[in-house]
Amino acid sequence: MRPENLLLRPTPSQYCTLGCPILDAVLGGGIPCNSITELVSESGCGKTQLSLQLLFTAQLPRHLNGLAGSSLYLYSEFPFPNRRFNQLVESFRSSHPILFASYRDPRDYIFTRDCQTAHDLLDVLLLLESRLKNPKETRLDIKLIVIDSIAALFRSEFENNARDLRRRSSLFFKISSVLKSHANRFGIAIVLTNQVVDSIDNGEGASGVRIGNLERLYTSGRRVCPALGLSWANCINSRLFLSMHEVIEGAENGLPDADYSGFVNRRKRRELHVVFAPHLPYSSCEFVIRKEGVFGVER
Amino acid sequence: MEVLRLPLSASQKGKLISAGYTSIASISSTSPSHLALELKVSENEALEILKSVSNGSRLQSTSSSLTVVNGAQSAWDMLQEEETTRVHITTSCADLDSILGGGISCKEVTEIGGVPGIGKTQLGIQLAVNVQIPYDYGGVGGKAIYIDTEGSFMAERALQIAEACSHDMAEYSRLYHKGPQACEVKTMQPKDFLENILYFRVCSYTEQIALTNYLDEFIKDHKDVKVVIIDSITFHFRQDFDDMALRTRVLGGIALNLMKLAKKFGVAVVLLNQVTTKYSDGSFHLALALGDSWSHASTNRIILHWNGDERYAYIDKSPSLRSASAPYSVTPKGIRNSSSNNKRIKHI
Repeated sequence: MRPENLLLRPTPSQYCTLGCPILDAVLGGGIPCNSITELVSESGCGKTQLSLQLLFTAQLPRHLNGLAGSSLYLYSEFPFPNRRFNQLVESFRSSHPILFASYRDPRDYIFTRDCQTAHDLLDVLLLLESRLKNPKETRLDIKLIVIDSIAALFRSEFENNARDLRRRSSLFFKISSVLKSHANRFGIAIVLTNQVVDSIDNGEGASGVRIGNLERLYTSGRRVCPALGLSWANCINSRLFLSMHEVIEGAENGLPDADYSGFVNRRKRRELHVVFAPHLPYSSCEFVIRKEGVFGVER
Repeated sequence: MEVLRLPLSASQKGKLISAGYTSIASISSTSPSHLALELKVSENEALEILKSVSNGSRLQSTSSSLTVVNGAQSAWDMLQEEETTRVHITTSCADLDSILGGGISCKEVTEIGGVPGIGKTQLGIQLAVNVQIPYDYGGVGGKAIYIDTEGSFMAERALQIAEACSHDMAEYSRLYHKGPQACEVKTMQPKDFLENILYFRVCSYTEQIALTNYLDEFIKDHKDVKVVIIDSITFHFRQDFDDMALRTRVLGGIALNLMKLAKKFGVAVVLLNQVTTKYSDGSFHLALALGDSWSHASTNRIILHWNGDERYAYIDKSPSLRSASAPYSVTPKGIRNSSSNNKRIKHI
């Protein structure tokens, strides 16, 4: 056993860009390789949008901060978001016409597979290991794995008693261990999405434990905490929280006509927060979801 | 019995044995007057006996100056030894150093645990950098072994912390080292700091056991290692072990190896641990993972926790330190003092 040479480690290809320089700046360059990053939010906030976007940006070459490899999308929530996926294919091809010319379809480099339970996931990862070790085709050079969502895998088979919770907890560590082992051997970036559960505000109890930079996580006016609990939080390397709030903007700006004094503008304000990461301080930024993808908003 | 081999008369040997002195070590630590009383002989005779004992033992063994015979060491000698050689590795946070008695002490196993995101890995990296501070700057001047089981070690972050440390050292040098001394004192570049962190990545519990066993040989070849950091000790052991007794045995073996390493080579062993929730007395408490049997593995236990918006370190168990808690903060430069105005160091 010999120690690694640390000076060889920080190379530019170690982060996968999100496709937007503002979001990349918040994350210190992008999603790091050889590490598990979790995106947690309530539904409809943009987790799936962001993960689909990553499937494309991972294919970008090194000089554009991509990983120059294929991506694997493991989904547990049905159905597969086909329409949005095709929209993103179109917008990606038009923004990078030289790279994704007609003969090179980005869809050829994205692999998808559905998983229903945690054991399904373990089987897929085992299969993946044997394929990654002997890549007969160069297209199978997978550099990004997205699991959407990890919470849904644990929904059905576990009751709320001590024995099942313990069994569930050891499955967390098993899955995380296999993922990290693949990430380390093959230099893969791993992104997981997680859901939130409402948190009853009593400050005590198992779900009242503060984890990370934010004392409380709020979205849509409710206090929430990430699903799967404290033991799962020990299995990931970084956690990013996406929040959504309804914001009412008044009519002070813009309208010269006094008759329109009752006009209000309602919109959803989405924010990305760094809850914890070994290489990042706390930071946050606002983002929007457009037809072309997810983009950060400058302050 | 060793006494029988001494060049003494048979009656003297008989008196020694009936008084209970069967080994050379037991005789060598008595004074002549005490021996005379015990054996009911004159003091001169007792002095003769002691002289022949020390002669005999000098011929028999090549022992160190501290002991007459191998293996025996009085507590007074141990105290003398400790006072001259006890070293601490600073954590860069003055409050934390003060409750630890100067910093993380070498020759001991310290366990540090906390929730995710509280700063365990940050503290680990800070210690791996601080152990390299040279003697001239009040440090230990050694290398670090960093065993990463979770993949949380980011080289960019280590570089950032090393840069801050190098900068602080340059400031200190500018203020305190003046005149002819200034040219002798060398400055360390951030790159040098990273070169002195011997990094191992471990991906399964078998690798972890193998590496712990290998460390003995490795440190023998790399005598300047002064700290071994394991981040984290728990990760691979929280999976499903079919046989929990096996897990306890394996963990016990690792604990023993680490304690031996600390004692033998005088290195500081720092174990980073996770927390779980324990239900007792009708409410949930945070407790370090790996169970009650593991709590005997470490000499000192520190728990990192949130208190409002502040990070606090609390000494949970230590044979020599008072129970106390101190605030600290994680900054871009690494672990530093907390900058809030109403921080307090609590002694319990």
